[in-house]
Amino acid sequence: MKVLAVVPAYNEEQCLADTVEALTRECPDVDYLVVNDGSRDATEQVMASGHMNGITLPINTGLTSAFKAGMKYALRNGYDAVVQFDADGQHLPRYIPQMAQVLSDRDADLVIASRYLDGTERPSGARGAGSRLITLLIRLTTGVTITDPTSGMRMYSRRMIELFANGFDCAPEPDMVALVARRYSPVLEIQATMQERQGGESYLKLGNVIKYMSRTCLSIIMSRFLR
Amino acid sequence: MLPVYLRVMLIVGALLSLLVVVRQVKRERILVEDSVFWVVLSFFFVVLAVFPGIAISLAHTLGFMSASNFVYLAIIVLLLWKAFTSSAEISRLKTRVNELAQEIALSRKEEEDRCERVARGTAAPVAAVEDTGAEDMDEKDAQRGGASGGRERERQENAE
Repeated sequence: MKVLAVVPAYNEEQCLADTVEALTRECPDVDYLVVNDGSRDATEQVMASGHMNGITLPINTGLTSAFKAGMKYALRNGYDAVVQFDADGQHLPRYIPQMAQVLSDRDADLVIASRYLDGTERPSGARGAGSRLITLLIRLTTGVTITDPTSGMRMYSRRMIELFANGFDCAPEPDMVALVARRYSPVLEIQATMQERQGGESYLKLGNVIKYMSRTCLSIIMSRFLR
Repeated sequence: MLPVYLRVMLIVGALLSLLVVVRQVKRERILVEDSVFWVVLSFFFVVLAVFPGIAISLAHTLGFMSASNFVYLAIIVLLLWKAFTSSAEISRLKTRVNELAQEIALSRKEEEDRCERVARGTAAPVAAVEDTGAEDMDEKDAQRGGASGGRERERQENAE
C-alpha cells in the first residue's frame, strides 16, 4: 500500500525539519509531501535546504485548501492512502503503519489516531469540553462514537482522496469525520499518544477556538440535514 | 400627497444615485454585467420619486399601515437578497483562487521533478509539444519524449 503523509505547513520554520526528519527515519516506506501554504517565514528555505519533497502555494489559502493540494498530488501520483500529519511535531510517525494496517484490513475510509480511545481522560477546561461536545454531536447526528474527533492525525482511503481532490467543500476537520461516518464507511480509531507542539505558534488561540468550535458544531448539525 | 420639498428631495436623491452608478460604470470600476442591478435599482428609485402614487397605492392594496413601511421592507428584502448572492459569489471566487494556487504549486512541482529526473538521467522529459496541459504525466509518458527534447527543455529552463 502506497501511503503519503501530507504535511501542511504555514509558518513552520522552527519544527518542520525535525518533523520531516523523524517521519523519514521512522517510516522510510511512507512518502511525504510538505504543503507550504504561502508561509511568510523561512519555511520555503527550510524545505529547499533539507531537499524536502514539497510544494509551495503562492498565497496563503488556509488548511483546507492546502490539504486539498496534497490530496490532488496523492490522486495524481497513485497513492492508496493519505495521512494528515502536522508539521509542528505533535504527531508521532510510529503510528502510521498501524493506521495503514487498520485501514486496509477493515476496508475503512477514515482512521483516526485517538488520544482517548483507551479511556484516557480528556484534559479539563475548554479544550476537553470542546472535544466532548463534538463527540456528543457526532454521536447524535450519526450514531457513531468518535473518542477523539479533534485529533489532526487522520488517515484517508483512496476513495476519500478522490473525494477531497475533486469535491467542493471537504475540510480535514471533525465535521468531515461526521460526514464520512454517516455517508461512507465506519470511522475507526487506534490508540496513540501525541506530543506538545515543538515550536511555532499554535493556530488555536482563544479567538480562533471559539470560531473553530462554533463553526465545527454548526457544520456537524447542518451537514446532517444538508449533505 | 407628499409635500413638494420632500418630493424634490426624493427625486434629487434618486437622480444622484443613478448618476453615481453610471459614473462608476464609465470609470470601469464595476463590470457592466454586475452594474445592471444597481442601474435598474436607482432608475426604479427615480420612477418612485417622480410618481410616489405607485408606492402609496401598492402599500394600501397590500394592507400596509404606511407607504414608507412598505418601501423599507421591499428595499431590505432586496438588499438581503443582494448580500446573499454577493456572499455566494465570494465563496465561488475564493474557491477558484484556491484552486489556482493549488494548481500553480502542483505544476511547479511537476516541472521540478521532471528537471530533477533529467539531471539524474533516469528519465527524459516530455517533448515540448506534449507539454501542453497534460496533468497526469507518468513515467511512461515522460520516457516517450526524446533525449534531444530533454536537452532543449533544459536549455529553456536555464535561459529563464
